[in-house]
Amino acid sequence: MAKVKNWQINREMDYVYDESRPKKQWAIIFDLNKCIACQTCTLACKTTWTSGRGQEYMFWNNVETKPYGSYPLAWDVKVLEKLGRQEWKKKEPYYGKTIFEGAEPSEKAVHFAPTDEDWMYPNNGEDDCLGNVPDGDHITLPHDKWFFYLPRTCAHCTYPACLAACPRKAIYKREEDGIVLIDQSRCKGYGECVRACPYKKSMYNPYTRVSEKCVGCYPAVEKGYQPMCVQNCIGKIRIMGFVNPPWKAREDNPVDYLIHKKMLALPYYPQLGLEPNIYYIPPIHADNSYLTQMFGPNVDDAIARYKTLREDPVAQGLLVLMGSTDRIIHSFKVSSGIAYGYDEKGDEIVSVPVTEPLITRQAFDSSRKIVRHNTP
Amino acid sequence: MKMIKFFILGLVLGLTVQAQANEIVVKKMTGDLKQAPLDDAIWKSVKAQSVTLMAQPMIAPRPKTTATSKVDVRAVHNGEWVAFRFEWSDTEKSEAGAVGKFSDAVAVQFPVKEGAPPPVFMGAKDMPVHIFHWRAQYQKDKEKGKPDIKDIYPNMNPDMYPMDFPDSGNVKNLTPDKKELYSHGQAAGNPQSYSKTGVDEIMAEGFGSSAIAGETHAISSAVWNKNRWSVVIARPMKIEQGSSFTPGQSSFAGFAVWQGGQDEVGSRKSVTMSWTPVKFEKE
Repeated sequence: MAKVKNWQINREMDYVYDESRPKKQWAIIFDLNKCIACQTCTLACKTTWTSGRGQEYMFWNNVETKPYGSYPLAWDVKVLEKLGRQEWKKKEPYYGKTIFEGAEPSEKAVHFAPTDEDWMYPNNGEDDCLGNVPDGDHITLPHDKWFFYLPRTCAHCTYPACLAACPRKAIYKREEDGIVLIDQSRCKGYGECVRACPYKKSMYNPYTRVSEKCVGCYPAVEKGYQPMCVQNCIGKIRIMGFVNPPWKAREDNPVDYLIHKKMLALPYYPQLGLEPNIYYIPPIHADNSYLTQMFGPNVDDAIARYKTLREDPVAQGLLVLMGSTDRIIHSFKVSSGIAYGYDEKGDEIVSVPVTEPLITRQAFDSSRKIVRHNTP
Repeated sequence: MKMIKFFILGLVLGLTVQAQANEIVVKKMTGDLKQAPLDDAIWKSVKAQSVTLMAQPMIAPRPKTTATSKVDVRAVHNGEWVAFRFEWSDTEKSEAGAVGKFSDAVAVQFPVKEGAPPPVFMGAKDMPVHIFHWRAQYQKDKEKGKPDIKDIYPNMNPDMYPMDFPDSGNVKNLTPDKKELYSHGQAAGNPQSYSKTGVDEIMAEGFGSSAIAGETHAISSAVWNKNRWSVVIARPMKIEQGSSFTPGQSSFAGFAVWQGGQDEVGSRKSVTMSWTPVKFEKE
């Protein structure tokens, strides 16, 4: 085992290979307060990548309802249970065990192997909230009944468990963008990546007899475009970009800004030790202990900061840039109420008003001498 | 460091076990072996050598317990072809197919170069081994053809496959080449994704380095009966770019068995910890 730096748990940890960070690291940020589980991302991915034989059950991108939804069945509960209870104190590094450190000597990671039936209910638990709703119940704040939607892709981890577990070294992480790929010509379908990935984003294709996973839409990314799940998000809850480690963070990089500068977006289950590169702006109306388990002990700070966004025009501008372009925004700026996004060369690719102009129309249209109603 | 420790342990174990191991005598006979015959007429007079296996100890992931503790090996040759018959106990016939299911399998390896054999754990750099890897899944391919997804999941009801959709649209009238692009393993030319003939021929220079040879020569037959697999792998005595034998020659063989029903696949297997000497009868 090598010692590698994992900034998400703020300490060195054991990993199978040496630390080798890519030149750029693919990352997506999701604002969970905006996701409505319309599954447009899921279908954008499905029609692009997994419409073939053996891929019927595959959703490289899926959206599940938390706490009861999961695809495959109980992936999160099972991994947490296998890892066992661990402690993580606020403002301290995570001193519990990662899945690499907790592994038995005969294994590369703490893991479990889902059965085929586990994959067959992608909508399991959809829209189920925590707790019963008795007659006469009403909404209170904070909500005592809660659920939220969790869209998930492969996290193209800095320390992928799939890559660590593959005995054939058929999985590699691209130096140019950090995308993790399974070599379709070398894989022999042992399923070790399927077992080892705690997020269960490697999937075995029973027709081709090799395993597959989210490819980060690398053909689009290579041309400067965001992945299909991001481009097609109708709620504009996502932005894809390239995240730097905190010691190289750039304030004008949209994902660095949300992750490192504002610390609004957090990795999910960072305690597993993979340094996953999908980040979430946590939902403000869900249970704090559940969110702490999922996003770490500083999640309440992120929620508090999210609630004060109206005092921060730069962050506001960045949030309206989300979903405003299909291109990858490498840098941004907000000035005079306009948010600008720039490509890698620094050329402007999009500009959006931070606040849409408000137009008040008189009920009586004097030019046509009619009264208009705002009746839908 | 752990690897080296295991390697030394392996060598020590290897030497001690090797000294005790009984030689497999490849009996000379005159019949046709090209069909990998299973019938007892050929095998009845051949003495079975019981080879001890143990859970692969060298690299993770590895099994915690030994699923297959011995494999009985018999071998015959006719000067042109050599056939090995393997028998081992397995209470569950596993032919893989569905997601998360693995296949029963057996493999035999030979050194490629003459002289002192390479490390028994799939060879080493510049010390290649030539492996014949039989899987129940591959045998089923040979007998029934590669299963379609409907054979694996008969009750599944997919709406449609766009590459097969006969109506208008971007993907109409696709040539077979273009359709294959929807089958990623096939599109990448992975031998794993095509119908098998029973046995994969593999060259390896250490764990994780195995690569399927372009040309296949071996033929297999198999039957699972009374909780026991009987598998015959027949191969030409001489394979260029691989292992070759002549009557009268002595060589070595190593063995591995997988029990798919116990989730054994890849490095999760039972193996021989040392080379078994193999002697090809002259007359």
